[in-house]
Amino acid sequence: MGDLLSNLSLGFSVALSLQNIGLAFLGCLVGTLIGVLPGVGPIATIAMLLPITFGLDPTGALIMLAGIYYGAQYGGSTTAILVNIPGEATSVVTALDGHQMARQGRAGVALGIAAIGSFFAGTVATLVIASLGAPLTGLALIFGPTEYFSLMVMGLVFAVVLARGSILKAIAMILVGVLLSTVGLDLETGEERMTFGLPFLSDGIDFAVLAMGIFGIAEIMRNLDHTEHRDVVRQAIGRLLPNRQDFKQAYKPVLRGTFIGAMLGILPGNGAVLGPFASYTLEKKLAKDPRRFGRGAIEGVAGPESANNAGAQTSFIPLLTLGIPPNAVMALMVGAMTIHGIIPGPQVMTKNPTLFWGMIASMWIGNLMLLIINLPLVGMWVRLLKVPYRMLFPAILMFCCIGIYSINSLPTDVMFIALFGFVGYTLIKFGFEPAPMLLGFVLGKLMEENLRRALIISRGQLSTFIDRPVSASLLAVAAILLVIALLPSIRKGRDEVFTE
Amino acid sequence: MKNIVLALAAVAGLATTGAQAQNYPTRPITMIVPFAAGGPTDVVARIVTDHMSRTLGQQIVIENVAGAGGTTGITRGAQAQPDGYTIMMGHMGTHGAAPALYPNLKYDPAKDFAPIGLAAGTPIVIVAKKDFPANDLKGFLDYMKTNGEKVNMAHAGVGSVSHSTGIFFNSVIKAKPTMVAYRGTGPALNDLMANTVDFMTDQIVNVAPQIQGGNIKAFAIATPQRSPVLPNVPTTKEAGLEGYEVSAWNAAFAPKGTPPEIVKKLSDALSKSLDDETTKKRLLELGGVIPSATERTPEALQKLVESEVARWTPVLKAAGATAE
Amino acid sequence: MSTPREGVGLSGRRGPVRAPQGIAGGILLIALAALALWLTRDLDQGTLNAMGPAMLPRWLAIGVGLSGLALIAFAFIRDGEPLERWSLRGPFFVIVAILAFAVTIRPFSFGALSLPGLGLVVAGPLAILIGGYATPEARFRELLILSLSLTPFCMVLFGDLLNLPIPVFPQELAGLFPAGWSQKAILRATAIVMAAAAIAVFFATRKARPTTIDVADHSGRI
Repeated sequence: MGDLLSNLSLGFSVALSLQNIGLAFLGCLVGTLIGVLPGVGPIATIAMLLPITFGLDPTGALIMLAGIYYGAQYGGSTTAILVNIPGEATSVVTALDGHQMARQGRAGVALGIAAIGSFFAGTVATLVIASLGAPLTGLALIFGPTEYFSLMVMGLVFAVVLARGSILKAIAMILVGVLLSTVGLDLETGEERMTFGLPFLSDGIDFAVLAMGIFGIAEIMRNLDHTEHRDVVRQAIGRLLPNRQDFKQAYKPVLRGTFIGAMLGILPGNGAVLGPFASYTLEKKLAKDPRRFGRGAIEGVAGPESANNAGAQTSFIPLLTLGIPPNAVMALMVGAMTIHGIIPGPQVMTKNPTLFWGMIASMWIGNLMLLIINLPLVGMWVRLLKVPYRMLFPAILMFCCIGIYSINSLPTDVMFIALFGFVGYTLIKFGFEPAPMLLGFVLGKLMEENLRRALIISRGQLSTFIDRPVSASLLAVAAILLVIALLPSIRKGRDEVFTE
Repeated sequence: MKNIVLALAAVAGLATTGAQAQNYPTRPITMIVPFAAGGPTDVVARIVTDHMSRTLGQQIVIENVAGAGGTTGITRGAQAQPDGYTIMMGHMGTHGAAPALYPNLKYDPAKDFAPIGLAAGTPIVIVAKKDFPANDLKGFLDYMKTNGEKVNMAHAGVGSVSHSTGIFFNSVIKAKPTMVAYRGTGPALNDLMANTVDFMTDQIVNVAPQIQGGNIKAFAIATPQRSPVLPNVPTTKEAGLEGYEVSAWNAAFAPKGTPPEIVKKLSDALSKSLDDETTKKRLLELGGVIPSATERTPEALQKLVESEVARWTPVLKAAGATAE
Repeated sequence: MSTPREGVGLSGRRGPVRAPQGIAGGILLIALAALALWLTRDLDQGTLNAMGPAMLPRWLAIGVGLSGLALIAFAFIRDGEPLERWSLRGPFFVIVAILAFAVTIRPFSFGALSLPGLGLVVAGPLAILIGGYATPEARFRELLILSLSLTPFCMVLFGDLLNLPIPVFPQELAGLFPAGWSQKAILRATAIVMAAAAIAVFFATRKARPTTIDVADHSGRI
């Protein structure tokens, strides 16, 4: 405990220098402003802004980068809520209810609860990192391929629960998502799978491209269908900030979301991606009236957003203490650190304590900055929705093109958002939901790779999944969840199951 | 507005191809890095070009064009205007192993480029899990002889540096461990630390922190000299293994047909950057090896590319490795 | 990948089909499954010990196909949603706009067709102008002003402030400017010209509004 306090005070003495506070503020601000552009997700934002940190000293640069990261993350959620374009896997869930709230004129409430929930989650996660960071790394090493496979199976079960309408259609979409994730070079053998011989498909389909297509572009196409309803979003703006009633509904989901997100974020195999999904599933199961979910339930924003931010933060644990980047964003952070001469690894904490604790302290400051920057900005974002849709959507379209192009500089990526946009539009027209497909896509890749790895290492023994206790319990949870998800709908009557 | 631009663009297009080599560079230069931002090649490129930009008086902008083991970006670079404003950072994979891994490769590493110079190499280290029942390379080789079938070797995906160098290592020591693929070095290292897989070969920049932290053990470094970052790790030769010296080198290339004066300017700027104290320090911190003055010339790079293609092609073909 | 045609054809039925949307969705899934099976036909399935590249995709495709069959079966048993109307105007213009951006942003060649790289200065306005026509309420004046003001904003933001390697203008444009001008100066000058053009268009066409545009206004709003 004494250690924790002295470490934190060391950290704050570094982070609270005028220069570093300024850098944290600046990082959060630019991160938010760039991250909010539709089509520019956190990875693209950080890659774009990386060079502006080059002139700084390593500690300052990392503090600013962390600020950019939080800003980009929150900016991405803003876009998900306002225009239904998730910039990364974790904000897919936010888009579900957040955008519905925006359509009902509650965009300000959604953005406000997201900011406040994120701040709370960030605060808790900072404390978790500071106090438990080192011991928790052990958890990362318990999870091998076998455990990850089971974890991903559990995640796919979440996807079933996540679905709003027909369970059969949701399962079909999940399967399609997993199928899409297998496009590209086979990791083990290097053979091409379903690439039509096209070289740009050999690395598989990029998540950002798929998400922007089936969510963002398809959403535009669908909105254009219903010109008479097009003004729904800008109809009434309503309150800008959540009121007491909202907080009453939201505080429990925030607490639960923070816990779930923080736990999953520690896993090095990109467990953080499951956080928002798990939180959403939990809230939907706990709710008295689950039918509100997907139609603008505030719990569906508060929980997942808190989980998202808690996970975003605790995913620094494997990076800072093990030197292992758990996901693409963190891999980029590793590169940024190495450019500044700091190679993340187990020694950073002991060799460079000012940097390590300074960065942890600045995480909290970054979260505070986010709150300070974003609460006033909520009004501005919401006012953007007043722009007539006939002018808003061409602008979104252009930003999407620029954003996707900037990730890999590939025009084919831009073309693919058009293709996936049409696919998404077709799916909506046939009554399929894109969210389970996207989740299947994200988890599918991890699932297949870990399944094959686990089987190679066990030399083909399927029993490996049951012999290992962690894996077995995860699978058991998945089975129970699936039964719970299917049972009531089967009992309730047939029409409920397969229509709505 | 648009019509005017198009009309004038057509007229101006005729004039731009004139000899501009003397004034070069008059505008920012794009360097294609064929991997995602943040990877070892990207880091080397950013460190080296930082100083080059100052020498040349124009900024060098890094453009990450990732895909297909780096060949997407290099293909684009090879087809770019040979005016010196598009250059690229190739490496051991794109200009050595690629012809064997990608039978439909759209460029010839030895013929389609104007080499600029070698930038920095990151040596390969042979590492194993902490609990591995051998403590040095000799013990490891003995173990492999009797238990080779049981051993799992991790690599970062077909076409990656750790994959190519791993296959080469297996062919040198004549072992057939079970290969386990990961998506990138990070997850592979994680499972190595968790004792899930047994050993791998990878670039020093990726593994050094874990070796220093005692999470994994290093048997040897595949360079002629020891690395200052890992002074206790013997070279492969010292450890008694001949014929395994590999480094993931990075080198700058321009498209074929770039005027020699421009290549010279770039090559001089690169060499100057490598002599700069700050650049040197940053590269050495990564465990990088800075090429000597004679190794940095375009001619030396051309030779290196030819010898690397000749070295990797038979090894990878024999192992049946392909990425298409 | 998509089968809109079957969908449209089925919409006018009265018969044993009780959930036309289910039929169309089912056909889509089965087509997708068939495509995946066909694409993986040459790949090795492997064994559990060493799973081949085709094992998972093949089983998934079968799963997708079965879901499709189930959807179709239920469409005959239970009442469901009718097919929604398709309007092709929206998707058409949106897709064309995105493609226009993709082929003009940098040099593009496809078979015999090849285009010079025109950069953001052309690609951006193209995307907005073409995309804007996806709605019947599109007005040329608004879209023109929008494209002439957003494009310079993006040029300055991405090209100048953030220094992204996104192509901003064709190299040939540099020939229009005095030889000593740097790339940044040209970029800024172009952005200023465009922004000025946006303002000019805004004021020049404002007077005409009561007579011509207002009519469109009424039809557009309610």
